[in-house]
Amino acid sequence: MSLIKIFKEGLWKNNAVFKQVLGMCPALAVTTSAINGIAMGLASTAVLICSNIVVSIVKDYIPSKVRIPAYIVIIASFVTVIDLVMNAYLHDIHKVLGLFIPLIVVNCMILGRAESFASKNSVVKSIFDGIGIGLGFTFALFILGSVREILGNGSILGFTVTGEWFKPAIVMILPPGAFIALGFIMFAINYIEDRRKIKNAPKEHCSVG
Amino acid sequence: MRDNNFKMVIVLTVIAAIAAFVLSFVYSSTKDKIAEAYRQEFLRALVKVFPNYNNEPDKDINIVDGQNIYIAKMDDKVVGYAIKSTSSKGYGGDIDVLIAVSTDGKITGIEILRHAETPGLGDKIEDEWFKNLFKGLTAKDNIAVKKDGGIIDQFSGATISPRAVSEAVANGLKFIDDKILGK
Repeated sequence: MSLIKIFKEGLWKNNAVFKQVLGMCPALAVTTSAINGIAMGLASTAVLICSNIVVSIVKDYIPSKVRIPAYIVIIASFVTVIDLVMNAYLHDIHKVLGLFIPLIVVNCMILGRAESFASKNSVVKSIFDGIGIGLGFTFALFILGSVREILGNGSILGFTVTGEWFKPAIVMILPPGAFIALGFIMFAINYIEDRRKIKNAPKEHCSVG
Repeated sequence: MRDNNFKMVIVLTVIAAIAAFVLSFVYSSTKDKIAEAYRQEFLRALVKVFPNYNNEPDKDINIVDGQNIYIAKMDDKVVGYAIKSTSSKGYGGDIDVLIAVSTDGKITGIEILRHAETPGLGDKIEDEWFKNLFKGLTAKDNIAVKKDGGIIDQFSGATISPRAVSEAVANGLKFIDDKILGK
């Protein structure tokens, strides 16, 4: 599998949120605004790339029985490092996201990639997988955050985009809004992809019925 | 089989030890920076709530009933007192508010130090217009949201967060009024 293909698969075909439905806890909790989604996505991407690298390096030395605890220790260490570094150097962003950073540890997307990709592939491939999956996750959080911010607050990235007539639906930035938005976005994606599949299907297949 | 078990223990121990070493290194190299960032944040809040002073109120502390009172002075003359006050009634947990009161008992400013209110909704308590609502109020004013019969505007869709801030401010102001100015 070429590196570009690995990257592309992570970005869309295996998209953590929309296709694998992994990492739901941060995806639903932090996406009250587009900027929070981006920041959380990038922090998770950093952890994912680091943990993918280390897991693919040490994969041959870890007995399979203890691989899960070993991966968790590696992931938790990187999360703590990022938490501390962000607190020291990006203090203002940390103030907003601080509560959610430790949640990255339990993001099953990261453990999932360690288990299903990094533990079977080379370092370089694992880096590309980390970047692809991570950016796919960031993109999904950005979309989810944008939809919720527009509908719930009438703004995107802090700029008001709707007119005076628009009355924001506050429920969209409350927890139930996360589920509602995710449901409709996934419906739209599946609907479009299904239609495309039918269009591209061979003709005789259509005429069977 | 015994060999295998032994190897598992060794591998996990080594991984945990390396992790501990890396973490202790990162912790010790960011510790001062983090403490400094928190202090800067607190100093920025002090500058906003006090009108004029030329001492270091975060070091000029008077402890009354176990509460830290930060004293602002202008040329060694006391111009105001600040106190950290917490309300547990926030939507997302505790809200810490810094309240500064001048020597004649008027609020000169408030700052939200820590909160976990809903972004885009309850976090409007951080907006300037909201914090300015408290300026100039005294212990005689009814500091509560309008829904509770007070004088503070709540904002649409969110009553809980402004209510919690009002409670923290009222308690902090009362403390300074009773324990320090009342003496």
